[in-house]
Amino acid sequence: MRPLAHLNKFYWKYRWLFIPGLLCAVGSAIFSLMVPMIVRQAVDNIPIFVRVYAPLSDSSVAESLHGSFFTTLLLYGLIIISLSLFSGVFSFLMRQTIVVASRHIEYDLRNRLYDHIQGMSRRFYIDNSTGDIITRATSDIEQVRRYIGPAIMYLTRALVIVVTAITVMFIISPRLTLFAIIPMPFLAVAVFFVAHLVHKRSDELQKQYSSLTTLVQEALSGIRVVKAYTREEHEAKSFSRESDEYRRRMLDLAAVEAAFRPVFILLIGMSTIIVVWVGGRLAMEGAISIGNIAEYIIYVALMTWPVAAVGFVITMVQRASASMSRLQEILDSEPDVTDGSQTDTSIDRVDGRIRFSDVNFSYKDGQNVLSDIRFELDAGQMLAIVGRTGAGKSTLVSLIPRLMDPTGGTVYIGGKDARTIPIAVLRKAIGYVPQEVFLFNESIDNNIRFGDIEATESTVEAAARNAVLFDNIMELPEKFETMVGERGVTVSGGQKQRTSIARALVRAPEILIFDDALSAVDTDTERRILRNLKTQQGERTLVIVSHRISAVQDADLILVLDDGNVVQRGTHDDLVREEGLYANLYRQQQLEEEIEAIA
Amino acid sequence: MSDKEKDSQGLDGKLLRRIIRFLLPYKYWVALAFVTVITAAFLGPLRPKLVQLAIDEHVVQGDMDGLQRMVSLLFIVLFAEGVLSFFNTYLTQWIGQQAIYDLRHKVYRHIQKQSLSFFDRNPIGRLITRVTSDVESLSNVLSAGVVTILGDLFKLIFIAYFMFTLNWVLALVTLAVLPIMIRVTFWFRAVVRDQYRETRKQVARLNSFLQEHVTGMQIVQLFGREKAEMARFEEINNDHRAAQIKTIFYFALFWPAIDIVASTALGLVIWIGGLRALGGTLTLGVLIAFIQYARQFFEPIRNLSDQYNTLQSAMAGAERIFGLLDHQQSLPESGSPVAIERAKGKIEFRNVWFRYDSAEPPSDEESEHREESWVLKNVSFVVNPGESCAIVGATGAGKTTIISLLLRFYDIQKGQILLDDIDIKEYALQDLRHVIGLVLQDVFLFSGSIEKNITLGNESITREMVVEAARLIEADRFIDRLPDGYDQNVRERGMVLSFGQRQLLSFVRAVVYNPSILVLDEATSSVDTASEEVIQRALEKLLEGRTSIVIAHRLSTIQHADNILVMHKGQIHEQGNHQQLLAIDGLYRKLYELQYKEQEAA
Repeated sequence: MRPLAHLNKFYWKYRWLFIPGLLCAVGSAIFSLMVPMIVRQAVDNIPIFVRVYAPLSDSSVAESLHGSFFTTLLLYGLIIISLSLFSGVFSFLMRQTIVVASRHIEYDLRNRLYDHIQGMSRRFYIDNSTGDIITRATSDIEQVRRYIGPAIMYLTRALVIVVTAITVMFIISPRLTLFAIIPMPFLAVAVFFVAHLVHKRSDELQKQYSSLTTLVQEALSGIRVVKAYTREEHEAKSFSRESDEYRRRMLDLAAVEAAFRPVFILLIGMSTIIVVWVGGRLAMEGAISIGNIAEYIIYVALMTWPVAAVGFVITMVQRASASMSRLQEILDSEPDVTDGSQTDTSIDRVDGRIRFSDVNFSYKDGQNVLSDIRFELDAGQMLAIVGRTGAGKSTLVSLIPRLMDPTGGTVYIGGKDARTIPIAVLRKAIGYVPQEVFLFNESIDNNIRFGDIEATESTVEAAARNAVLFDNIMELPEKFETMVGERGVTVSGGQKQRTSIARALVRAPEILIFDDALSAVDTDTERRILRNLKTQQGERTLVIVSHRISAVQDADLILVLDDGNVVQRGTHDDLVREEGLYANLYRQQQLEEEIEAIA
Repeated sequence: MSDKEKDSQGLDGKLLRRIIRFLLPYKYWVALAFVTVITAAFLGPLRPKLVQLAIDEHVVQGDMDGLQRMVSLLFIVLFAEGVLSFFNTYLTQWIGQQAIYDLRHKVYRHIQKQSLSFFDRNPIGRLITRVTSDVESLSNVLSAGVVTILGDLFKLIFIAYFMFTLNWVLALVTLAVLPIMIRVTFWFRAVVRDQYRETRKQVARLNSFLQEHVTGMQIVQLFGREKAEMARFEEINNDHRAAQIKTIFYFALFWPAIDIVASTALGLVIWIGGLRALGGTLTLGVLIAFIQYARQFFEPIRNLSDQYNTLQSAMAGAERIFGLLDHQQSLPESGSPVAIERAKGKIEFRNVWFRYDSAEPPSDEESEHREESWVLKNVSFVVNPGESCAIVGATGAGKTTIISLLLRFYDIQKGQILLDDIDIKEYALQDLRHVIGLVLQDVFLFSGSIEKNITLGNESITREMVVEAARLIEADRFIDRLPDGYDQNVRERGMVLSFGQRQLLSFVRAVVYNPSILVLDEATSSVDTASEEVIQRALEKLLEGRTSIVIAHRLSTIQHADNILVMHKGQIHEQGNHQQLLAIDGLYRKLYELQYKEQEAA
């Protein structure tokens, strides 16, 4: 249970909720334990009243006697009701403090987790899938919260009830108590095992559910292939198999869940029967009263839940512990790109010069992605990078905003080692348009403004114009307020990509990076965007990765990458003349473009 | 449909009957479940009655043997109740899961049978929900639902019966709190349901924020938005906390409230019971029995209110499922299909007109507007056996539609499509698609091994055939380099096949299926040069000796075609072979000249 020790500081932080909360738990338990005592009083007194009253029922005192019995019995009733009222108030306060505190801790924990992952660099997101991270932030935190709140609450209440009840019972009759509580440990153990099995099997069921979902998702996404190759029968059979497996797991779970109630009924029932049996004998011997039997029956009933809760709490703690160590794994991981000791905080702006000096990059497994990349670019120049898929183009440009650091050599931005520039300063100077368009599910306006929160309306419009997006936006029903995101609705893929471009332009950055950022626009739009960028050239350095020759032919420097090496460098005219990758690529792309353009 | 509407519609008897019909195949088991649940419902309330007898007739009388007997009887009753309760819970689940299995199957097969226009209209996500969570929402009704409701009702009846036979005055006193308890329980259900809705909303907000920001974290970081996004996250997290804390409030109120109501019943029993005892009409045993009954009858009430909620939510799911099942959009199949093993391979489009979404015939005023929406207008062409046909044209010219129609993914509105001079509607869909091999531009990979992606689970295709086909296509070169070769799982993390490799896989797939006719949508996306050459060679091998229709983007493919269709806005603008088309000096010639000039310049 070590990982859960990390939570101690939270208990301290919210001690003013936990301490009164636990006191309320004690209060509530004690009041509810007083009810059976009153019941015993009543049950024992009633026969006495009857015995006193019966001979006198015809006499003159009968009426006043009846009146006083009436009041006494009414009083018993009222005391019982008020005791449960007090117990109820405390139990209300208990939940309002402890469970609420657990929600506060959940909130803190989740903020901390999010804050932490925001600082993590790309490697972290490669190693951890989005789904995993979200599970940490949701269900793992929920598991931990259950331990913080409900588990502790149940445990406290259980301890108070069990200890007090057994003490009171013991005072009345040690023998009857020993017999009556025999089933209790079995109950706790049985609940623990059943709960454990239920969790295990429902996890398995959940897994099967997602594999069923995945199967359906695939069969339906690939429906064209399925139909074209007449694989319907085969897919339906696979579906039956998964569905059958799901049913099997469901019934596995149902079997243990079905055991829950009988275990409860049997063990509580056993306690009651033992009380009647042993208690009955003792009552006949005169060792206890019949009222005690009634009292015991209620005690046993009162103890059942708390004792069962102990079983639940153990599994809760186990799960919380596993979840907490998963959370801790993330919280303990260090970002590999961060401001550190070598950061020169006096740097508050950089210009658009870029120099790569013998830059190497390889992944942990030794796979070399970039080897000895060398080039120098003046502020305001244009660099183009072409090459096959997997040649290392995206990796190269992602070293500029330090999404990753090179494993060898140095990247200089504005004449300074990029690692010495505060990350915020470096990235402020860069407008990045990634290969895969990622927009937030918000309005176009907000998405463009994401580049610069303080952008004025006119700068947003200017950015949209430069990205050849403005006219499209004005045709949309909601103009700049149109929501993007919702699949396929109103905003096309090309428009989304241009929104992503506008987002970078609105920053008015010193360096603009286009990582294959014109793939979803047609050649004509591409030409217009590039022309717009041209008019601003001199103000900003442009780094452009592209498959299309048309987008790169005006570059001051073109690097042709192959397998992480620069295999050709020069201007378009140089490279077209030189037989090689570039010239090949150039020729091959002609037909495709012309066909697309003609009709 | 919003959540609110779903919940407020209440219970629809017709819908409920239709759900229950799925239990029909298991009616004997259902009957058995009823018997067991009612027996168990009787045994539970029987125990306090026996305790009363034990106390009044044995303990008070000092009859030790009688007590012994009564205790044994109590034990038997308890044991029987435990066993029956286990048996019954499992049995109802078993029945429910059988019915759910049947239903899920029916839904899945129904969806799979629909024509592609159905898939165009219904987002995949929605269909998945139908097969999974909507079906799941009926699970409670079909398993525990009906049986449990009856069990709980009987339990209430038996409790009332025992109470009235023991002492009708005390029974009335105890039952006096019943309306309060029902009110409190149903009030709680109602507020908690609203509150849950709010909580669910907040949880969904939290999840989608996380989903979005974890996916787009790079963007957040690149644009230096960490602080602003943290503030937004805190706000959402805070709303989530607020909703949860409000829920706690209701729960904190509910449990004590129920306890107080139950204690009120107990207080009344003591008071009135005591007074009755004074009158000599009540024994101690009866009093003790009532103390137990006062606590026992809360459980069935809570269960009933739970069941009411599950029934309501099941209604919403059922409505969506039946809505789907009632909507038939599969293509009509010929009653006596023409058999076809291997096609000679003659394809003919005869004055084909087609538009998507032809659900209802256009009204007069609409027809003019509809005129615009034809995707194919009067398209006619013939491909003779063994010939290749290339289709060129701009995006949206109708190229993809032609191949979808040939595979009968959709039915046309006017004209005829013939295969080997017989209308394709005369063939069984299965057979038609069996003779035509389709290679799509966007290669869809299923999770599973490379081999499975090639064979698509067809067991008559052996590993040898797969390897041979891969060699022919030269896909073996990259497959052999994979850690697990043909057994490599294509969806494992970090395992990404390049576009070119995926394209090659789809070619291998077409080769092993060995269709008489090949329909191919050539990839537009630029692949690297090396793969390009491999694909080029593979393509030639693939097309060899087969009738083929290719949506072409490569000059070499086009030049080698026996017939070229130049599509323009849903019509065939020009057709002929390369030489003929050059001769007519049209669209195609312009295209070719551009290319020719570029080549000269280079």
